[in-house]
Amino acid sequence: MAKKDIKKALKDFWFGKPHSGEEGGRRLGELYEDKTGLLKHREWRGVKDTFYYMYMIWGYNYVHMVTDILKYSNNPIDFFKGTWRYRWMGQTYLPVIHWFERGLQGMRGEALAASAWHYRAMVSASIQQICNFFNADTRLHGGKQNDAYRHTIYANETTCGTMFYPFMDAGYRYLPIEMIPYFVTCHVNSHTVLNYIDAVQSLGLPGDPCPMCQAEAGIFVLDDVPDSSPMVITCNEACDASVSTSTLQDWFADKPLFALPIPMQFDDPLVKKYCMKEIEDCWKFIEEQTGSPFSWESMVKRLEKQNKLQRDEWEKWEVASKTDYYPINGVAQALFRIFSTQYGIQGDFWDEASEKVKKIMYKCVEKKIKPFPKTRHRVIAWSCAPLYFSNWCTWAYNCWGLNCIINMDSLMFDMEIRTDSYEHMLEDMATYHMWAPMRRMAVGGMHHIFELWEYMERFNCDMVAMYDQLQCKGMQGVHGLFEDEFRKRDIKAFWIPHALPDCRTVSRAEIRRQINDYMTTVMHEEPLDPSLLDFDDSMTW
Amino acid sequence: MCKIGKFFLKLFGVLFAVNALLFVVFFFDLDGKLLFNVVEPFLKKHYDDMERKDVIKQPYDMNKFPKY
Repeated sequence: MAKKDIKKALKDFWFGKPHSGEEGGRRLGELYEDKTGLLKHREWRGVKDTFYYMYMIWGYNYVHMVTDILKYSNNPIDFFKGTWRYRWMGQTYLPVIHWFERGLQGMRGEALAASAWHYRAMVSASIQQICNFFNADTRLHGGKQNDAYRHTIYANETTCGTMFYPFMDAGYRYLPIEMIPYFVTCHVNSHTVLNYIDAVQSLGLPGDPCPMCQAEAGIFVLDDVPDSSPMVITCNEACDASVSTSTLQDWFADKPLFALPIPMQFDDPLVKKYCMKEIEDCWKFIEEQTGSPFSWESMVKRLEKQNKLQRDEWEKWEVASKTDYYPINGVAQALFRIFSTQYGIQGDFWDEASEKVKKIMYKCVEKKIKPFPKTRHRVIAWSCAPLYFSNWCTWAYNCWGLNCIINMDSLMFDMEIRTDSYEHMLEDMATYHMWAPMRRMAVGGMHHIFELWEYMERFNCDMVAMYDQLQCKGMQGVHGLFEDEFRKRDIKAFWIPHALPDCRTVSRAEIRRQINDYMTTVMHEEPLDPSLLDFDDSMTW
Repeated sequence: MCKIGKFFLKLFGVLFAVNALLFVVFFFDLDGKLLFNVVEPFLKKHYDDMERKDVIKQPYDMNKFPKY
């Protein structure tokens, strides 16, 4: 072997292969097994990052998955019983480390460490919810309604956790019905949700409404919802299809139910007043069902923590918008934010992760470390993302140098909730509730969907990744308006067609092809890693 | 060699072997392969074969609870 080759081999061993399309660059696409997306072997990221990944991400998270179960479960045996009983649990949560792998592929140094802390917090929050389900589930306890059951409040996953803070000091827990059985499963193992979509259609219900609503109803149709709460609070999520889901949930759950709608057009002050009244009615409903009164102290205590998390996020956004030193990748940013704002403060995991990330971020700022050195374009992602391919931005950075700086899901709850008086708190709560996922900047009216331009400027982005949820009637209606505006404003934008959870409608390979086409035919650019252009991962999780 | 020295040598050997084994599992994605090829198909079969309540046979009692 020539001296030059030995030197290169040693350099690759110590630092990992360079992120480059040239000979000798890392070729991440060649690591995949055909179709399954499993890895022939994991990437060698250099000595430091490979062993950081092995001990601090792979090993650390395996160990903490076990300690989280011991921490949150009243009886760990219930966890195994639940795994055996519920498909969304057994089929989904075992491959969770592979979810990390997909989101963190190719990351190095600070980007690898910081993004992984966001994932860690999400796994911890998920295990807490799973344990809350199983601790209270009458099906796992011989039909007995235990104390955990009586202290659990079921609500639709887009009813923000903030709503339930007043009852938490008295020991009540908010449990979003679909967040774990539906939302998180799609990210971790996209196979599971297909059973639930097909279940609804097998009843003769139409296949063209939003597949999210179909899947959420399908969990009930397949009798796969734990019986863990004496009451249910539903909401219309973002659209009419969800209203039908709520009707089916009312039928199948067969429990006292309060419908807490999210207004469709939320700029009207009268609508806001109506919403404030609805929230108070919801609290009254919970008081009646639980016998526990609204507690202002309990509310304020958690709101202060939530506000602190929001201020942390503003700090991070400041760095993300004005510098190249922000260490969180696109998928870790989006999922952490939507998960934490929806689930709310029910533990310290969000705050702990946020503090760790801030520490890494300020290290990058002080030492001028660019965590994404191959960035060619700063991208803002807009509208609702494909849940089965939320890690597209990791792929896009590795393949094309497209760095997804921020996304719509992160920006929805861009506010603090005042705690100086009940009236201010209620007013802000109404705004927070109305700014729900898929509503604030998606189905919430033309003024709000076009906030894109302001955020694009604020975050110093030069390109838009525009999600195109093919089964969302609301967003399909504004497709042409965006096309016109992109042309008029001379904005570089590519579309990502998808069907939210259903990977059969638009495959991951098709999404990649669309981006590849845009980057070659419109941008005339060469890939950073040509091995990632085209590969078959049709059977992957 | 004194007893303590032997003990630490053994301990080091065991730790090294465990770490080497873990590295092989980690690097070659053996955990992923086991879950994808063995555990998931087994669990899928179990869930597919599971008897489930036919929820649509359940009556929709619209007036069962008071109005909220």
